[in-house]
Order: sequence, then structure tokens, then C-alpha cells
Amino acid sequence: MPAPVTAVEAARASRRWLSVPLTLFLALALVLGVFVIVVGAVLAWRYSGESTPHYADDRRHFRYGSIGAERKSGIPYALWRELPALFPEVFAPALARGDGAYAAFGFVYERDARGQPFDLPIGISRRNVQGVELVWFNCAVCHAGTWRTEADGPRHIVDGMPSNNLDLHGFVAFLLGNAADERMRPETLLRRIEESQGRFGFFERLIWRFYVLPTVRNELLVRSVRMQPLLAAQPAWGPGRVDTFNPYKVIQFAIPFATLTGDERIGTSDFPSIFNQRPREGMQLHWDGNNTSLQERNLSAAVGAGLELTSATPADRAAIRRVADWLLDLRPPPSPLAPLQNAAAVARGRDLYVRDCAACHGHPSGDGYVFEGRYLGRVLAIGEIGTDRARLDSYTESFRQRQREVLGFTEFRKTDGYANQPLDALWLRGPYLHNGAVPTLADLLEPPAARPQKFLRGLDVLDEARGGFRSPPCEPGAPAVHGTICFDTRLPGNGNGGHLYGTALSTPDKADLLAFLKTF
Amino acid sequence: MTTPDAIFTPLRFRRLTVKNRIFRSSISGRFDNEDGSLTQTRINWESRFAKGGAGAIISSYVPVRMDGRIIAGYATIHRDDFIPLWAMVGRAAHSFDCRFIMQLSHSGRQMDLPGVHNQHRVPPAPTSRAEPLHGFLCRAMGKGEIAHLVQDFAKAAWRAREAGLDGVELHSANGYLFTQFLSSAINDRTDCYGGSLFNRARFLLEVIEAIRAKVGRDFHLQVKLGGVDLNDYLIPWEGRGNSLADAIEIARWCEAMGADAIHVSTGSSFPHPLNPPGDLPVDVLATTYDAMVSAGLHGFRNLAVFRSPIMRPVFRWLWKRVARDRPVEGVGLDEARAIKAAVGIPVISTGGYQTASFVREAITSGGCDGVAIARALIANPDLPNIWQAGRDLPERPCTHCNKCLVSAPKNPLGCYEEARFPSREAMLEAITAIYRARPTLRVPDAAEV
Repeated sequence: MPAPVTAVEAARASRRWLSVPLTLFLALALVLGVFVIVVGAVLAWRYSGESTPHYADDRRHFRYGSIGAERKSGIPYALWRELPALFPEVFAPALARGDGAYAAFGFVYERDARGQPFDLPIGISRRNVQGVELVWFNCAVCHAGTWRTEADGPRHIVDGMPSNNLDLHGFVAFLLGNAADERMRPETLLRRIEESQGRFGFFERLIWRFYVLPTVRNELLVRSVRMQPLLAAQPAWGPGRVDTFNPYKVIQFAIPFATLTGDERIGTSDFPSIFNQRPREGMQLHWDGNNTSLQERNLSAAVGAGLELTSATPADRAAIRRVADWLLDLRPPPSPLAPLQNAAAVARGRDLYVRDCAACHGHPSGDGYVFEGRYLGRVLAIGEIGTDRARLDSYTESFRQRQREVLGFTEFRKTDGYANQPLDALWLRGPYLHNGAVPTLADLLEPPAARPQKFLRGLDVLDEARGGFRSPPCEPGAPAVHGTICFDTRLPGNGNGGHLYGTALSTPDKADLLAFLKTF
Repeated sequence: MTTPDAIFTPLRFRRLTVKNRIFRSSISGRFDNEDGSLTQTRINWESRFAKGGAGAIISSYVPVRMDGRIIAGYATIHRDDFIPLWAMVGRAAHSFDCRFIMQLSHSGRQMDLPGVHNQHRVPPAPTSRAEPLHGFLCRAMGKGEIAHLVQDFAKAAWRAREAGLDGVELHSANGYLFTQFLSSAINDRTDCYGGSLFNRARFLLEVIEAIRAKVGRDFHLQVKLGGVDLNDYLIPWEGRGNSLADAIEIARWCEAMGADAIHVSTGSSFPHPLNPPGDLPVDVLATTYDAMVSAGLHGFRNLAVFRSPIMRPVFRWLWKRVARDRPVEGVGLDEARAIKAAVGIPVISTGGYQTASFVREAITSGGCDGVAIARALIANPDLPNIWQAGRDLPERPCTHCNKCLVSAPKNPLGCYEEARFPSREAMLEAITAIYRARPTLRVPDAAEV
């Protein structure tokens, strides 16, 4: 080894046992530091911010646009896509029918020009939150349904009508009930997702393996723990129904189920139709008429869909407002049953309706629905209306106070009955009463004892004779057609009593009134 | 009858009289030969200030041994055959009625440019701790080496006397070998040359004693001392070093040992924020420091700092924080005044002097007996004559930008403040004027090559 040129070089050489490793270490640390900074910046850019598709058309915005619910409540799109393959016992029948996978729970899919179902059903929106594509509900999930005239006939999708197919109870029970399933373990999910959807990059895999999937699973487990006692205590909701406020209590407000009083634990009721919102402003909204502000009712509904109101962005509020504005004047399609009715019977029936019904429900006219009536949109005391009170009791004063404290809602009131609803699009709103306990309009004109005790709900085939959707008799526990449930009116919250108006009419009058009721 | 101008009143030392109170302070460029012999350029350089009216010239740093050079290319006094060369310098100064005092020095660890003679060896010092800023190496001398070095100083003083020079100054300030012994922040010895202030001053006092023994009492001997060390000026965890009280004590001991005057400077290193005071042009330093990169362990690091637009302001801030509350002109006058009050021999002060009225006041108020000036004389070599003509300041005064300082390791010494000149060509002409008088060249004898 040549002698060092200078004394300084000699000193440097004598220190190389320390300086070389130290320099290498520092260089390595520098390289690693730069690497970490660069990768961190890329990842920060990749995993920060939000984006969601924007739809120019209001109807498509209603069906697929985000209202911000994915941020707090959503599940990864990749998981949404993978679940059907992971749980074939649940999804295979729907896929076998050529429908979208989540039709297994009554989600409604549009179809493309080749007849193939869209990737996502109506009511499911996408949002990229911090680099992860999430999906969850929007307004349309509960307010878009279908009808047809024959069982094998074409389905007509109607925005604004109740989601008569959607088995929300079934979907939630499936998602939460399987959170602990082995197939939902992060490593299993990651492997299955990569096998079917393509491999992640190195960092993305790490993030999904150790953050995204564990977080999602943990959140589902937490919700499962909160929701399972509630779901277990309630009769299955069945298609077209939801318990509006109790999941709200246990999920959004984290109120333990055990602290709910026995009276308030079941609040299952039908999804409402949401046409013609403008004339409803100022009415007592919701089944129990607990709010008179459309704006607040809309925000509350968005919370029910999964939006965390306290972290909602101006864009979220704008998206909700856009839906609300579109709904202000959304008209329902005309009843296809109207042309089939005897005109004389309809005329007689109109007279009966005006005499006995219009004061509470308003009335149809030639160019729309007239939202006028002495008692329209006002609460009728439970003792007067006499329908099942479970939904009324599920909304409590203490819950109202929590809404006020946490969400800042000021227009909610605890009422003592159910509100008289406008009956626009009555033909699309069966089964009837707030809890869907009476299958057809004809049945509603019968006294409770004569109303069907058990009937199949979930079909979207119009019942041309009786008004509403076909609801054949059934036996609980017996095999049911897919997407239906045998609705048992004897179960808590399912009572079909009350609303005796018209039940005392003569048979001819009932026939006339029914003919009229089927026209709108 | 008018009162004589204090500046131009002769200063009488014990055995030397200087015609006025203006000393050209020790400053030099790389004018000389690699073997330590001086050149015609050196003579020209010194003569420029003698001609300008300085009462005495304190030579640039003159090493007493080759292992004590701070910068290769400075003339030394380590060989007897250099005596005639220095004699020529002395005669040149005398021709302008100017005295010439040789500054005897040794770099110790503060060796900026080792050159071919020193790059292979580690310089002797009282400590083995490397100099912290540049990482200059050093090794602690044994007592035998110290004794030998003491004698080398004495021999050098003898050579100066033999050359007919007017006196010698021991450079025991500004971080060189004597400072390294004196400073409590640098001297980490545990023998009789370390520890107490007296022990730390022992080497200096032994050198004075040895010089007196060698050259007698009649030869002028003055000592340049740092008023304060402020050794932590840049690196906070370095010791602060000697205080003014320490300097006063050392000055008294020097006087007692036979010193004829005390020359007061500041700072435990060179350069130091207080010496020379003024700006630090880091942008210029970034282009000249490369000449020193291989001289110390931290050279490359420092160059990177000087060249970094981000680190430059940081370095400047660190550098200037010590001098923030101090004036440029008379930066060390307070220390000089305190030392003058404590000793009976004349005191010379250095540090940014350029204004006649200020200097006059410094002298008449008892702050000092004379001033030593370097940069202001580089800018205006005839500053004494300008003062004597009645002007308080020259037309184009020194800006104390210190571009001359940071250029010195790489380029010829001179004023690099271009704003002071009508053109860049004029500036270069002024810088290179010292090369005008050339030696008579001849064909060497065979034995000479």
C-alpha cells in the first residue's frame, strides 16, 4: 500500500476504520432518507385527498353520485368486487340468473346495450379516499325501485319510488355477520383480490395488507358488535323496509343496544317514495312526522346512509343539495293501471275519495297531485290512526336530544302519531301503511281481521286487481322465491291494524274507490 | 505654539525610536520562495509601506523553523544564510526612514498551507487536539522539543539583529503557537507548560528569556498578545479561553522578563470574527478556500458549507454574532487600554484603524501609544502621509470587506474591493505593482543548481 501523500491523508487513513463505516452509514442513511422522503412524498400524494366521479346528468348523479357516505361507512371497491367470489353460497344464485351479484340482496342493476348488468347497482357510489377506492350508499339505494306487469316481463326502474327490492337487513346482516369469517382475514382477502383483480405494487400491497384490510375488517367487526344484538332482536326487515333510527343510534351514536328501552327497539318501516318534494316543505315529514324541514330531513337521511355529518365537506353538502333540488319537482310515472279501470267506477271512486280521504291525503288531478287537505302532512294521534306504534316509539325524546347535540339538528320533534301522507305514486308504494303490513290497496279497505296475516313481499309485479304489488299468501319458514320474504303481521312491529278508513264501505263502493286509487 | 500631532510624535521605546505612531501590522502574501528565502517582491512589498510614511513595519509572520510556517511561500528566518536577504529588507525600510521589526513566529497547529516541506508531517504544538475549524493536525511536543524550539526563537532573534533589523516581535496572539500554549481553551497539557496561567505562559517567558540571553538587552523585543481569546466564537462547545485579566497578567510577566512593548490584538485564531474585524465575504471564500481543502480534516466540509447557498447565511450568522456589539475601528482598543494601564512599557493596538482623529484620540486618551494597521494600508499605502497632510480619511478608504484576507491563500495579496478602483484593470494593476521592481537575473553557477 503506497505511503500517504500528506500527514493529513495519513491521519485520514488511520481513521478509516471509523470514518469509512461512518461515511458509508451516513451515505446509506442519506440515501435511505432521500428514498424515504421521495417514497413518502409519492405515497402521501397517492394516499391523500379525495375524488369521486361527477355526473352531468341529475338522474345519474342521483343513482351513482356520491354524497360522502363512503368516507366513514364505505368498504373498498376491491372488496365489494371480491365478496361474490368469496361467498358463492350467497351470490351465486343472482349471478346464475344473469343479474348483478348484489341483486342477491335486491340491489337493482341497470343493464348496458348488451344486456349485461352495470358494474355497480343503483344506489352505490364510488369515492377515492386517501388512495383507496371505496363504495357505499347514496340516496338512491333506498329510493329507487322497479315494477313490471308480468313476472317474466321487463322491469321498469323508477327513481324516487321506494326500493321495493332491497333487502337492506339481509345485506347488512351478511356484511357484518361475516366480518369474523376466515375469508375476511386480511391475508386471505389480499390473496384473493390479487388473484382475481391483479397484483398490487409493493407499497400498495403493504398498505392494503397492514392498514386498509385490517382497518376495514376491524370497522366491520365493531359495527357487527353494535348491530348484531339489534338485528337479532328485530324480525327480519324484508325487502323494501328499514329501521331508520335504531341503527343510527347504535352505529352513529354508539349507544349500546342494551340501553335501548324495549319499546324503541323495533322501528322497521317501508322506504318512502320521495317524489314531489317541493310541496312537502313544511309538512310533518317522516312516517311519524318528526321533522318539518326538508333540508334537515335530507341531511338526516344522508346520515342514515352513512355520511358522517361532522366531517362532511362542502362538496358533500352540495351533492346532497343537488339531489334534493332534483327531487323537488320529480314527478312519478303515471299508473299503468289507470287505463285498465272502468271510467265510471273511477269517477264514483273519486267522489268517495274526495269525501273520505282527500282531507288527510290530498288528491290527484288531471295534471298532477294536489297537495291540499285540511289534515294533509299533519300528525294524526296514534290513538286515532291505530296503526302499529313500534315505529313511532322507536323515535325517542332522548334520541332527539342526541341529534341536536351531536348533529346540530333543531327541527326534530317527538310526535304522538303518524303523519298523513300525500298519496302521489300510490301505485308504486305497496305494501301499504308505514310498516308495509298491508299488501294491497284492496286489503287496506278491509278491516284488520280480514287483512292477510302472512304474505309474500318483495315481488315487483303489479297486482292489477288489488292495487300494489302481487303478494301471495305464504308460510313463514317455507322456501320463498328469491328476493322475497314471508311477511308475518303477527311479529313485533309488523302489525297490520289501524287505518280503518274505508273499511266500512260497501263492497261496490270499495270497488269504486279501489278503481280510483289504482289510477295514481 | 501648536500642539504636536500625537500621531506624528516619535514613539520612544527603551532602545528604539519610531518616527511616528503608525506601525504597518504584520501582513503578507505568498511573495517568497518555497525554501523560505525572500524575494525582491517581498522587498517591494515592505518598501511600499515604508514609502507611505509608516513609522515602522512589523514584518509579516516569519517562521523561526520550517515546521512552523502557516503558509508556504512566506519568507522564514530559520537559516543564517537568509540574514543578508533580510538585511536588504531592513535597508529598504531604512531608506524611507522607517524601522523594521521582524515578527518571529511558529504556526503550531494553525498551519494553513503546509507546502512541500510540511505536508508529510504533523506540526508540533502544545496539544495533540486538532484545530477545530479546519481540522489542522498537531502533536503535543515533549519538554525537550520545547526547549529546542525556545532556542530556535533565540537564534532567529539573533539573525534579525545580525541583519540589522530594528527589533523583533513575538507573535503570541491570533492562535499561533504561543497562543496555543497561553490559551486555557487549547492548552491541555498536564506538565509544567499546562494548567495554571503561569504554566501556560512559561513557554513565552522562556523564549523572551532566551532571546535576551542571546541578543542582550539592547535589541528591541515586543510581544503581540491577544486581549481576549473568545475561542468559542464559532463552535459553542469549545472553551472560551483566556480573559482580559489573563492577558493583563501575561503582559506584566512579559514586561518583567524584558519585553519592550506589548502589541495588543484579539482572538484565539486567525482569522477570528474580531480580527480582522469587518465583513466576511463567504462568496469569495468559496472560490479561494479550495487551496486549503487538503490542509485539514474538515477542508472539504468547510468548502461545501462555503459553496452552499443554504449554509452560507448560517455560517455568516455564526461568524458575525461575536462581533455584533463591537466597532470595526478600534475593535481591540478597550483591551489595549486596560493592558496599557497595567504595564509601564508602550502598548500598540491593532484592529481596523483608519481614521486619523480616532487614532489621535486613542493615543491622547491613553488607550495606546501607537496603532498597527494592515488592511487600511493595503488599500492606501500612503495613509500616514495622507493623515499628515491633514486629511482624516483617505479619498477611497478601506471598506474592511476582508476580500484581501480570504484571497490570500490563493491569489496575490492586495485590495480586491473593485468598487474602490475605477476599473478592474486598475485594481489588478495596484495588486501587481509590487512585481515592478525586479531582481537582476543572472546565469547561476553550476553549484547553485
